[in-house]
Amino acid sequence: MLTIKNYSNQILTNISLHLKRDENLIILGSNGAGKSTLAKLLCGVTPSKHIEIDSQKLHRLSAKERSRYINYTPPKLEIFDEYIDIKTFLELSRLYGSISVDEALKLLNLKALESKSCQSLSSGEQQRLILASSLLHGAEITIYDEPTANLDPNHTIEVYQILKSNRIKSRIIITHDLTLAYRLGYPIIYMEQGEILFRGESELFFNPLTLKRYFGESLKKIDNYFVVNI
Amino acid sequence: MRYIAPLLSIIILLIAPFYGQISIEVSNLTNPSTVDYKLFWELRLPRVVVAFFAGGVLGLGGLIFQSLFKNPMGTPYTLGVASGSTLGVASAIIFGYTSFLSLFGFIGALVTVVILFGVTSRVKSYDSNSLLLVGIALSFFYSASLMILFYLSDESQSFEIIRFTMGSVDVLGIRESIPLVLTGFGLLAISLWYKKELKLLLTSNENAFLKGVEVRRVNTILLLTVSIATGVCVSITGPIGFVGLITPHIIKTIYKKSADQLIVPIFFYAGLFLVLSDFISRNLGASSDVPIGIITSFVGGPFFIYLIIKRK
Repeated sequence: MLTIKNYSNQILTNISLHLKRDENLIILGSNGAGKSTLAKLLCGVTPSKHIEIDSQKLHRLSAKERSRYINYTPPKLEIFDEYIDIKTFLELSRLYGSISVDEALKLLNLKALESKSCQSLSSGEQQRLILASSLLHGAEITIYDEPTANLDPNHTIEVYQILKSNRIKSRIIITHDLTLAYRLGYPIIYMEQGEILFRGESELFFNPLTLKRYFGESLKKIDNYFVVNI
Repeated sequence: MRYIAPLLSIIILLIAPFYGQISIEVSNLTNPSTVDYKLFWELRLPRVVVAFFAGGVLGLGGLIFQSLFKNPMGTPYTLGVASGSTLGVASAIIFGYTSFLSLFGFIGALVTVVILFGVTSRVKSYDSNSLLLVGIALSFFYSASLMILFYLSDESQSFEIIRFTMGSVDVLGIRESIPLVLTGFGLLAISLWYKKELKLLLTSNENAFLKGVEVRRVNTILLLTVSIATGVCVSITGPIGFVGLITPHIIKTIYKKSADQLIVPIFFYAGLFLVLSDFISRNLGASSDVPIGIITSFVGGPFFIYLIIKRK
């Protein structure tokens, strides 16, 4: 349903991608590889005429229709107004999701913070809020940009369980956490310097030879966990 | 506080037209042959109405600009709309079109808006900061042009221009206040209509976009509306500084709410602020009224600094 064909700009080179309905995707890659650039292109934040969704041009859709198809969640929350609290923010995010604001608050342990200003949240709290808001938004496809980057171990497990649950219809997850990518088991794209170097099933990517090619000695597999070899 | 402030405000609004350098006999207000009648209905009341709506338009305009630009300094004044209007009026004075002062002022504001949008439509992605920078550059250009006009003008023209730039809510007859009253209600209505969009824009433009707001369209409509309203206002009252910049901040600090919930309160209290400033300017006992712009900056400046310090 989501298509981009032979796209290039200053950062990305010859990107093609096709995501069918109810398919999921994990995007891996080094810092500055163009993962977030690609994500912002796919959701329309960076305007482009090359994205198609359900055989319609994304830039031709009305803002309302577009919001029903696709949503993007940033790694950090940016909020200008200091008086918008967690509950207000979630109420603003409520569009198509079947979950209620109260359920979302409870699901992500935000109930006690509900009247706290969004500007004063820690980065981990921000990430949980962003995830909660994406569930309320309930778009067909949601792009998660590093959803676990700032979480403590307990909350990482919680977020992992929500990410793989059927509360989300179709997801594209950008991450550096290989264990998370491995556990989720979705098809993988690996990017470097604006190019897609690998595209395929999870098992294929996580075989020792492929991993060695992209990560060299910096990655170690211990049992079923991937650890950085510091 | 919740009920006292609005009540007190309404009392101030009601008694404001009755006080001035010349005292008015209440019993004469129904008798058209008296001087008091003329003074009250032709001068005092229109003056209070103009002050109230000018304040409302400038305050609400400031709030909306600050919200859209996500910048506490963004007001129609910082964008050069008021300076454009001032330049228009000054040109009218110098070139002898004194009966078309308001029209020239309005054209000055409108030309500024057209330039602002012309420039920003050439910038590829929509960026409100570039608009702000263009506005600041325009303001400098306008003040230089104003200096040239001063240089060309004789003494009485210079005085007239200076008097205009100080701002005044003097009008003759209630009819002159009608354009401003309509503008005020129009601005209020459009702002309230876009309340939900405004709230989403207060998070971030990106978030509003993803949640289905036509960011570019809503921004353009609101910016244009505020600019036109400011143009109407400045052409009638002259540039009255500070109201648009500080009343939104003061009301936000007191209410502790987001801009979308403050549309009506800010209109009301900014209006009240100007009525009060005008009330003070009329009753200081000087031989002529002190220009209202001086009062607003004199009272507003220190009070604003006090609020910032107290807020921590």
